[in-house]
Amino acid sequence: MDQLKQQLKEMIVQDLNLPDVKPEDIDDKAPLFEEGLGLDSLDAVELVVLLQKHFGVQIANMDEGKEAFASIESLAQFVDRRR
Amino acid sequence: MRHVDHCFRKAVLKRLEAFGHGIFYLTLRIAGQPGAYALLVPVVLTYVSASRRIHRLTSPYLRRRFPKHNLIERWWDTFRICHSFGQILVDRAWLGLNRSARLHGSLDGWDTILGLIEQGKGLVLLTAHVGNWQAALAHLKDLPVPVHALMHYEEEVVAKHYFDLRGESCPFRIIKTDGFLGGVVEATAALQRGEVVTIMGDRLAGGPSATVKFLDSQVRFPAGVYRLAAATGAHIAVLLAAKTGRQSYHLRVWDVFHPSYRNREHREANLTAWTSRFSKALEAYVIRFPYQWYNFYDFWNQ
Repeated sequence: MDQLKQQLKEMIVQDLNLPDVKPEDIDDKAPLFEEGLGLDSLDAVELVVLLQKHFGVQIANMDEGKEAFASIESLAQFVDRRR
Repeated sequence: MRHVDHCFRKAVLKRLEAFGHGIFYLTLRIAGQPGAYALLVPVVLTYVSASRRIHRLTSPYLRRRFPKHNLIERWWDTFRICHSFGQILVDRAWLGLNRSARLHGSLDGWDTILGLIEQGKGLVLLTAHVGNWQAALAHLKDLPVPVHALMHYEEEVVAKHYFDLRGESCPFRIIKTDGFLGGVVEATAALQRGEVVTIMGDRLAGGPSATVKFLDSQVRFPAGVYRLAAATGAHIAVLLAAKTGRQSYHLRVWDVFHPSYRNREHREANLTAWTSRFSKALEAYVIRFPYQWYNFYDFWNQ
C-alpha cells in the first residue's frame, strides 16, 4: 500500500504538472481538492483519465469520486480494491 | 420604511407575474398556440415600451449584431428578440398543456453524430441558449448511447419542468454543476464509456475561460469543456437549434472538432483555438438567426 501511495503521489505531481510540489510533501490524509493539495475540477478530469490509464481503474460517478478523492490514502484504498 | 416598500413592491410584482402566467395559460387552453401568440404581441410591445432594463440587457448584443442600426431600429430589434423569446416560452407551455401537441423538426448532421458516437471515444454536444433548445434536446432520446446533460440548477429546473409537464421521461440524465467538483467526475466517466455529454458553451460559471473574438469584440467564453474533451479523447460537435416556424424547428451540427494535445503547454496554447471554433459557430448562428440567442445580460462584461 505504501508503494501504491508513492506511485499515486508521483503520478499526481508529474502528470498534473505541479512543479512546486514534491511527492514526499503530500500528506497521505490531506484533502486533494480545494484545501490540502488544492487541485481543481479540471485536475479531477485528468486524474480520472490517469487512473484508468495507469491502473485500469474507472471512477463511475460522483459518489465514487467523493470516496476516492478524499485523500491519497482513500485513493490508494480505492485503487487497491478495484484493480 | 424603504425596505418595507421594496418588499411590498417585490410581492406585488411577483403576484402580477403569476397573474400574467395565468392569463397566458388560460389563453392557451381556450385559443391554443395561435391565441397565445396573438396575446404576446401587445404584452411584449408594452414591456419593451415601459422597461428601460430590457434595453440595457439586450443592448450589448444587439448593438454588436446590428452596429449600423439607429435608435428606432434598435428599439425594434429589442422587441423582436423579446417577442422571439416569448414565443419559445409560449411553445413550452403549449407543449406542456397539450400532450398531443408537437413541434416538427429537422436535423442536419444526425449521421455525423452517429458516426462520432460509433468511434467509442465519447462525444460532447456543445449547445447554447438559442432557439427552442429543450424541444430540440428531445431528439437525444433517439441516440444509441446514454446522454448526460451538464446543467446549472436553473437549466435543470426548466428542462425537467418541460418533460414533466409532457409526462415524458427526460431523454438525458442531468449532471448537476453544483455537485461534487462541478459534476466533472461523472461527465468524464460518461465520456470514457463512449457516451454523450451535452454542455452549454455560452455561459461562464467559474472554471477556465479563453478570450476570443465574437461579433467584433473580445469576450470570455468558458473553456473547461475543451480540456474535458481533450483529456478524455472525446469529439466535440456544436449542435444548435433554431425555431423556423410556428410549429417547426431546425437542429443542425454547425461544427465538429477533436481537441487533442501532446503536453500541457500544447493544451493551454490550443485552448483559445478550440474556444474560437465554438465562438465562430455561434457567430454564424446569430448572423443567420439574430433574434434567437437568449443571453439577456452583458456577455462582453463578465
